[in-house]
Amino acid sequence: CFTQTLQRGYVMPENALEQVPIGSTQEQVLIVLGTPSTVATLNGEVFYYISQTAKQSAAFLQPKIVDQRVLAVYFDPKSRRVQRVANYGMQDGKVFDFISRTTTAGGEELSFLRQILSGNKSS
Amino acid sequence: GTGSVMLATQASAQSASSIVVQGNRRVDADTIRGYFRGDRLDAVTIDEGVKGLFATGLFEDVRVSQQGGRLVVTVVENLVINRVAFEGNKKIKDDVLAGEVQSKSRGPLSRAVVQSDTQRILEVYRRSGRYDVRVEPKTIDLPNGRVDLVFEVTEGTKTAVRRIEFVGNKAYGSWKLKDVMNTTESNWLSWIKNSDVYDPDRLNADQELLRRFYLQHGYADFRILSAVADLDRQKNEFNITITLDEGQQYKFGTVEVQSNIRDVESDSLRRVLRTRQGDTYNADLVEKTIEDLTIEVSKKGYAFAQVRPRGDRDAQTQQISVTYVIEEGPRVYIERINVRGNTRTRDYVVRREFDIFEGDAYNRVMVDRAERRLRNLGYFKTVKITNEPGSAPDRVILNVEVEDQPTGEFSVAGGYSTAEGFIGEVAVAERNFLGRGHYVRLAGSWGEYSKSAEFNFTDPYFMGYRIAAGFDLFYKQTEPSSSTSASYSNNMVGGTIRFGLPLQDNLSLLLRYSLYQQEIEIGNPEYRDCAPQGNVPFPDCQENGEASQAFKQIAGDPQMVSLVGYTLAYNTLDSNKQPTKGLYAELKQDFAGIGGDVNFVRTTGDVRWYHDLGSDIVGLLRAQGGYVTGWGDQEFRIMDGFFMGPNLVRGFKSAGIGPRDMDSNNQDALGGSMYWGTTAEVQFPVPWMPKDFGLRGALFADAGSLWDYQGEVYNGMEVEDGNVIRSSVGAGVIWSSPFGPIRIDYAVALSKADYDKTQAFRFSGGTRF
Amino acid sequence: CALFEKKPEQLAPDEPADRLYNEGLTLVAKKEYKDASKKFEEIDRQHPYSEWARKALLMTAYVKYEAGEYEESITAAKRYVTLHPGSPDAAYALYLVGASYFDQIADITRDQARTERAIQALDEVVRKYPDSEYAESARRKITIARDQLAGKEMSIGRYYQEKRNYIGAINRFKTVVVQYQTTRQVEEALMRLVECYMAMGITQEAQTAAAVLGHNFPDSPWYKDAYKLLQTGGLEPREDKSSWISRAFKKLGLG
Repeated sequence: CFTQTLQRGYVMPENALEQVPIGSTQEQVLIVLGTPSTVATLNGEVFYYISQTAKQSAAFLQPKIVDQRVLAVYFDPKSRRVQRVANYGMQDGKVFDFISRTTTAGGEELSFLRQILSGNKSS
Repeated sequence: GTGSVMLATQASAQSASSIVVQGNRRVDADTIRGYFRGDRLDAVTIDEGVKGLFATGLFEDVRVSQQGGRLVVTVVENLVINRVAFEGNKKIKDDVLAGEVQSKSRGPLSRAVVQSDTQRILEVYRRSGRYDVRVEPKTIDLPNGRVDLVFEVTEGTKTAVRRIEFVGNKAYGSWKLKDVMNTTESNWLSWIKNSDVYDPDRLNADQELLRRFYLQHGYADFRILSAVADLDRQKNEFNITITLDEGQQYKFGTVEVQSNIRDVESDSLRRVLRTRQGDTYNADLVEKTIEDLTIEVSKKGYAFAQVRPRGDRDAQTQQISVTYVIEEGPRVYIERINVRGNTRTRDYVVRREFDIFEGDAYNRVMVDRAERRLRNLGYFKTVKITNEPGSAPDRVILNVEVEDQPTGEFSVAGGYSTAEGFIGEVAVAERNFLGRGHYVRLAGSWGEYSKSAEFNFTDPYFMGYRIAAGFDLFYKQTEPSSSTSASYSNNMVGGTIRFGLPLQDNLSLLLRYSLYQQEIEIGNPEYRDCAPQGNVPFPDCQENGEASQAFKQIAGDPQMVSLVGYTLAYNTLDSNKQPTKGLYAELKQDFAGIGGDVNFVRTTGDVRWYHDLGSDIVGLLRAQGGYVTGWGDQEFRIMDGFFMGPNLVRGFKSAGIGPRDMDSNNQDALGGSMYWGTTAEVQFPVPWMPKDFGLRGALFADAGSLWDYQGEVYNGMEVEDGNVIRSSVGAGVIWSSPFGPIRIDYAVALSKADYDKTQAFRFSGGTRF
Repeated sequence: CALFEKKPEQLAPDEPADRLYNEGLTLVAKKEYKDASKKFEEIDRQHPYSEWARKALLMTAYVKYEAGEYEESITAAKRYVTLHPGSPDAAYALYLVGASYFDQIADITRDQARTERAIQALDEVVRKYPDSEYAESARRKITIARDQLAGKEMSIGRYYQEKRNYIGAINRFKTVVVQYQTTRQVEEALMRLVECYMAMGITQEAQTAAAVLGHNFPDSPWYKDAYKLLQTGGLEPREDKSSWISRAFKKLGLG
C-alpha cells in the first residue's frame, strides 16, 4: 500500500527507435534520442541509453531495481553511421557482490578532538 | 596625486637595463624595472608599467621621463602603516572594524584608501542602526617613514523606529500588519531587542512579507505604493509610513487540471488539489498544489512533466479561476551533483538527501525538496543549490553550496515546576558527530526530588537505509516528595535500542527493545530528625517512610524488566514546536516479559487535532487513553501502572488522580490499569500586548478518569478506587520570554473523587543558556 | 585639510637588523616559532629598506608555515612574491603558498577546495621555476593532491554503484580514467567499470575495460579481481566473506 515506483535514468520517448534506423548519422541520433547516458570507454563509438525502474515498498527501504533497459547504438567507426542497435534487459545483468576493498587516499581524518577544537573555524 | 606620464615624442628602442629608478626607498630598483618588461620600450609598455606600479598600491606618485636616451622612473613611495587602531568604538568590536578596513599594518598608507575606510566604518554602523556616528582618521608619525593610523569613532545613540503607520489598509488593522512585519516600534522592551532599529534591507523584506500575507488572504491585486522612512534629526528616530492599495478580495472560481501529456488523465489528479472552488484565493496553496501535482505526475513515470498555473481574474464576480496545465518540460538530465563547502560534513551525508541521482531526469521539485531536507538537518548555516549548464545542451550540473555551522551544543538549563520542584540540567550534544550525521548526547540532571543521567546515540541512516537506529543508556532516581505524594524512591538503570522507520511522508513506526532494572526503596536514606531540638516537626517529615503497604511489600528487591515495543505515529502538524494546524495521532504498545522478572502489556493512545480559527487563534481537541494488564501467571507490578495528574486533567496534583491507599501516611497513589482523557483548548495572542512580547493566553476544559487498581490489597491498606469522571476548566498563560518558555495554568476541578488531591495552580518554566 | 592631524610620536628603540635576524634564526633552530616570527616582524618594522627586511619577510612566511599558521604564511609568502618577483627566493615563497594549502587537505569525503588551490600554486612553481630545487618536490605534491581529487571521484562513484545507479557510477569512474590517468586510483576505476558493465550485462564493455587494465597494470590486484569476474561470468559471488555485523559496524564508523 505504500509502494512507490520511481523512474531512474534515461526516459525513452515513444516510438523513438523507429526514427533511428540503421545508417542514420550520429547527429540524427543525438537529436532524436538526446545525449547518451554514457559512451563506450575506448573510442566512444557506442552510445548507451540506460533507464531503470525502481520500486520502494516503504519510505525507509532502499528502492529495489525492478526493471533495467540499456539501449546500445553501435556506429561504424569509419562512416560514423548507425551499424547495429542492441537491447540489454534486466536478465542480462550478472548478480554478484562488489569488492569492498578500496584504494587508500590521503588527507587528515576529522578526529573528534579536532572537531571540538576547531569549533566553528572549519579545519 | 595621479601619475603624469611624459611620453617620449619619438619612441626610441631602449633595452630594459638602461632604466634609471629614482626616489625608491623601500621597494628595490629591479622590482620597479621588472614592471617595464618587453623588448621595445615604446609608449604602450611604459604606460603598462606605470599602471602596474600604481596597482601595487605602494606608490603615491610615479613619473616617467627621457633623459639622454635613458628612461628615468621617479617614484614617491607611500608611507608604510605600522599599526591600525580604533578608539571610542563600544558597540562594534575592533576585529569587526579591522575586517572592514582596507589599510593593513605593514601595508602602504594611501589617502584614497583611508577615505574609503572611513566610509566603510560609517556603513557598518549604519547597518547596525546607528546613524549619527563620526569617524576621524588620525596618523602618528614614526621614524624612517612609518606611521600609526588611528580611527577615532564617536558613536552617538541608537536610531530607533518611533512609529510605523499604514495608509490605505481597510481589510486589516495596522496592529495586525505590524504583527506581520519584522521591523517593530521601539517600546520598553527596546533594551533587549534590536528589531526596532531601522534597517533598509529589513524594511524591503517586510514589504515582501506584507505582499505574501495579502496574497494568502485573497488580495490578488495587492500593491505597495510606497514605503517611506523619514529621519527626525533632533529626536534621532525614524517614522515609517507605508501606503498600500489592497484591491478586492478574490475567491477561487473554477479549479481545473488540464493535462497535455497523453495518458495522464486530469481527473485522477483532482484529489491532490489543495485549492477548491469557493475558498478564499491563497497564493501559497497554489504553489503547494503545483509541487504536489509535479510529484504525483513524476511518480507516474513522467519525470519531465512541468505544471504551469493559469489564473484568469474576473473583477466583477471577484473570482479567480485557476487551471493547472501539465505539459512536457524540456528533456534535461542531471550530469553531475557537486557538493562544495562541506568542510566538516561528509559528502555522502549531503548526497543521500537527494532522491534523484546523477543521470536522472532534472526535476525542479525534487531539487527543492532536497534543499528543504538539507536545511532541516540543522548541520548547515546556509544551503544553496544552483544550476550550471552541463557538457551538452540537455545536461545540467547541480552545485550544492553548503556552509557548515557548529552543531555542538553545551547547554545548562534550570527550571522550576510545581510537580518536580527546582531542577537543573547540564547537557552536551553533537548533532553531526565527526561529520557523519550521527547524533550524540550526554546529559545529567538533578533536582529536589529526582536525579538522572542519560546517553543517546542515533545514526539517521543505518546501513544506508533511511532508518534512524540508535541506543540510549539511562539512570533515573526519584526521591520521596510531598508534591508527588509518593513516599518511596524509585531507581531505574538500563538501556534501550530503537529503530525509527518512516513508512510514508507523515507516517512513521518506531521499534524498540528496553532492558532496565527497577528498584523501590522505602524510608529516606538520610535519617532526618523530624523535630530538631524539640520544636515543631517540619511538614511531611517521614521518620521511617510511612509508605503504603503495597510499596513496602516490594521494596528492596530489584526487578529486571525486559520489554519490546513499538510506536506508530501519524503527524501532519505544520510545526512541532508551535503547531497551528494538523493532526498528531500516536499508538504505543510495550510487551514486557521476554526474559526479565516482570510481565505486562501496556497500550496507550493519544490523538491531538489543531485547527487554525483565524487571526492567530488556535483550537486544540485531544483524546488519550491507556490500558495495562499482566499476562501469564503474573499480575503487573504497581509501578508499571498509570500514575496520572495534571497530564490527564489539569487542576490536580501530580499522581493526584486515581486509586489511593487512604491508610498510608501520605495517602500514596497506587496507580490504575485503565485511563481515558479529553481536552478542548483554545490558544490566542494576548490582544493588547505587542507581538515581540511573545505572550499567548489559553482557555481549556479537561475531563478524564483513572481507575481499576489490580494489585494486592494487603491488610493495613484501605484502597479507594472507582471510575469517577474528573473534570476541570481553567485558563493559562504561555510566555516565550527572553529567559525561556514559561507556562502558568490555573484550573478549578469541577468534579472529582473525594480521595483525589487537587492543586489549582501549576507553574513550569525554565531557562536554557 | 584637516584629514591628517599630527599626534605625539612614540619612538621605538633601534636594534641593528643583522642581530635581530640572527636572534630570529637561533629561535627558529630551537623551534620557538612564535618568538622567531616576532623578531622577523621587528626587522620589517624597524628596517623597512634593508636587504634584511626582504629576508625577514621570507623567514616570516617559513616560520608561520612551520608553526602550522597556514593562512598567515600564505599572506606573507604572497606579499613577498608581489614585492620581490625577481628575487631568487620567489620560487621558495610560491612553493610555501602551495605547501600551506597542501598541508590543509581534508580527507576525500570532505570539500577539496584547498586541494585545488594547492595544485594551482604548485603548478605555478613548476611552470615559472622549472629547474629550481623546489620544482621536484612541488611535482611530487601535485601528484598526491591529484590522487586526492581522484579519490573523491572514486568515493562518489562507489556511492552510486552501491545504489545500483550505474549511470552516475560509470561516468564518475570514467572521469578518473580520463582525467586522472597518472594516479593510483585509475586501476580501481577500471575494475569498477568492469563490475558496473558486468552488472548491466554489457560484457563487451567489461572486456575492454579489463583489457586496458591488464595491459597497463598486469600485476595489480585489481586486474586479478577483474580477470576472475570475467572468467566466472560473474555467476558466483566472490566477495570477501566479512560478516554482515562487521560491515554494519564499519558503516557506523565504530568498526
